[in-house]
Amino acid sequence: MNSKIRSWARGVFGWFDDRLPISSMWRSQVSRYPAPKNFNLWYIFGSLALLVLVMQLATGLFLAIHYQPNPHLAYWSVLRGIQQDSHWGWLIRDMHIVGASAFFVLVYLHMYRGIMYGSYKKPRELLWLVGIFIYLALAAEAFLGYLLPWGQMSYWGSAVVTNFVTAVPVIGKPIATWLRGSFVVDLPTLNRFFVFHVFLMPLLLLALVLVHLIALHHVGSNNPDGVEIHDNLNETGWPRDAIPFHPYYTVKDLFAVSIFFVVFFWFVFYNPSGWGFLLDKLNYTPANILHTPADIHPLWFFLPFYAMLRGVPDKLYGIMAFAGSFVLLACLPILDRNPVRSIRYRSVLYKVNILSMAFSFLWLGLIAHGLATEHNMVYGLHVTEVFYMTFLALPFFNRERPLRTKVIWLLAAEALVWLVDLWMYSIHAHSWSLMLLTDWIPALYALLLFGLAILFPALTQDAAKLPERLTAGGIFH
Amino acid sequence: MTKQNSPPRRHPIALVLAAWLLASFSAAAAWASVATTSPPLKPITINLQDKAALRNGALYTLHMCTACHSLQGTRYSSLPAMLGMSEARFKEIIGTNGHHYHDVITSSMPPSVIDAFVKILPMDLTYIARRHSPAWLYTYLTSFYVDPSRPSGVNNVVFNNVAMPDVFAPLQGLQKPVMTEGLRYGSPAKVAIGVEPLTKGSMTQAQFDRTARDIVTFLYAVAHSHEQERWRLGPWIIGLFVLLSVLTYLIYRLYWRRVITSEERWWKVGK
Repeated sequence: MNSKIRSWARGVFGWFDDRLPISSMWRSQVSRYPAPKNFNLWYIFGSLALLVLVMQLATGLFLAIHYQPNPHLAYWSVLRGIQQDSHWGWLIRDMHIVGASAFFVLVYLHMYRGIMYGSYKKPRELLWLVGIFIYLALAAEAFLGYLLPWGQMSYWGSAVVTNFVTAVPVIGKPIATWLRGSFVVDLPTLNRFFVFHVFLMPLLLLALVLVHLIALHHVGSNNPDGVEIHDNLNETGWPRDAIPFHPYYTVKDLFAVSIFFVVFFWFVFYNPSGWGFLLDKLNYTPANILHTPADIHPLWFFLPFYAMLRGVPDKLYGIMAFAGSFVLLACLPILDRNPVRSIRYRSVLYKVNILSMAFSFLWLGLIAHGLATEHNMVYGLHVTEVFYMTFLALPFFNRERPLRTKVIWLLAAEALVWLVDLWMYSIHAHSWSLMLLTDWIPALYALLLFGLAILFPALTQDAAKLPERLTAGGIFH
Repeated sequence: MTKQNSPPRRHPIALVLAAWLLASFSAAAAWASVATTSPPLKPITINLQDKAALRNGALYTLHMCTACHSLQGTRYSSLPAMLGMSEARFKEIIGTNGHHYHDVITSSMPPSVIDAFVKILPMDLTYIARRHSPAWLYTYLTSFYVDPSRPSGVNNVVFNNVAMPDVFAPLQGLQKPVMTEGLRYGSPAKVAIGVEPLTKGSMTQAQFDRTARDIVTFLYAVAHSHEQERWRLGPWIIGLFVLLSVLTYLIYRLYWRRVITSEERWWKVGK
């Protein structure tokens, strides 16, 4: 009897398997997919981000069912309709809110992992580029969704961002009106943001994530040692340093998922507004078109870009400054052409530079978290210069430089900083004294980076010998 | 064997130095922002299980506050369970102010009257209570002071130039401010940091403080209506995932022991 059922089930599965590549896909993409055996903690964020994407789609579905995309109804449809009148609405909404921030935490860590281990280098340039597009789509998705609760910060944040387009000369204003469907953010804007948020962007995100995964499985994963595992195959054609993705990385990811959910649900249950970072306190006030808040700022994940925007004393240049940072990220494969992938085997100053990239980004976030004072704006400008410099200095580390080239880099970097600051001063927005007082930040950074390279050439030397095989592996390595 | 291949790791001192340098920069930037003297908030502990406090708070809120303010985050029908009373008792003691029992709690005053009276639509209490901490609300309710320069004749310690009149004056009596030299958005100004009694009201100060606390308790409970459910469910869900973490960690170790400890690569495709 039992074997009869089993053979019948096998027959049914076989029928499908003959017509769909189920078992062959499972084998090639999961159970026999070779993954480097030394993935560390940094390698769990990609799969966690995928999990959060699915969770956002699921919770978002239920929220969309109860939400009213109408300025008269939106606010209370969220605060009462979803949070009070529908069963478990409060839980689903808080999961969606915390999920949005978790998504960005994971994506930022995932991106930084890529930067640390050179995961954007040949043959993974396109993989990286698709990732950048995922990040942009995610940013758009978050921005569109933020308008929906129709709170003060939702409204004025969207007003600020849709006004970006007006910085374009002549055609800017008509385009902004066309984008909003109105002269101000209003019913047409809310309707289209809702449609884009629940339909267009998720579709785009899913498609991009699929392309990202296909590209990843085509070229194979990088690893913390930066060793190309496919260069060392055994007699059966299996990479000697690889283990099958399933079960080894599925069990590891399950562990990561469990830990992630402990933190995630702590926020959901005990701190859903995340000290005002995950959901701005001002957003509990309904949108009021006649009352502009004293301080408009985006949620935490856009703060660094907001500091760049605020720091440059001109709307168009400010937008170019923060859009430029996306371009720099996308251009990483072009900027960093050093054959050594992993940060483990790069020079000390390269490590300092990569670390400064992260620190200046965090610092920018801290600055934008403060009020829009001139002090904060000037600091924003100068830390933006540091952030840019961490990218623009990457070609410097492409190979060993002779002393003369190092001196030229130092002088060029200093000249660039001072020229940019002179230019910014010429726009007449910041006080000369404050500019002078804070100019030392990018100037000192250039001096530190290239000056140390001149004084201690050993600091710019990558590891003399790269490993041919993977070194230690495991979750805590 | 893999150990021999890998070059020695470099000393991380340069990284630590760079981290320290950048961290000190950011601290300087964070502290040097525009200062406004903030008056101390009065400490308050609210107990959401205290049904007597919740009922008293509901009584004052629905009989005083909702004269002007709405409380649209909730319906009359969801209050009895929260206050620990029956529907009939709720209707008898607190009442629905002529509304249907399942209605949303709205302001009793028509907008035209509000417009003539204060010119500005009073904020909904749900989002006031969500936006501010209980300590802030409590300090706000107890810190109105006489200020002849204001149209309503009063001002508030934690809400400078507040539009709301001092509706508590009959209960609490009028108060005068304790002023100090402070900063307002970076420039020196006289700032109120506390209040002192000026006239007597129908309640003693202790009675009024308790009433204010009850109102804050009720408003907090309404604005955070699933707080109790969160605290009840949270440990179970989080505990479940803690348990799963332990289990999945053990499974992970079980599978990975072979990979981590192997001297020779043990994995071969095929048999």
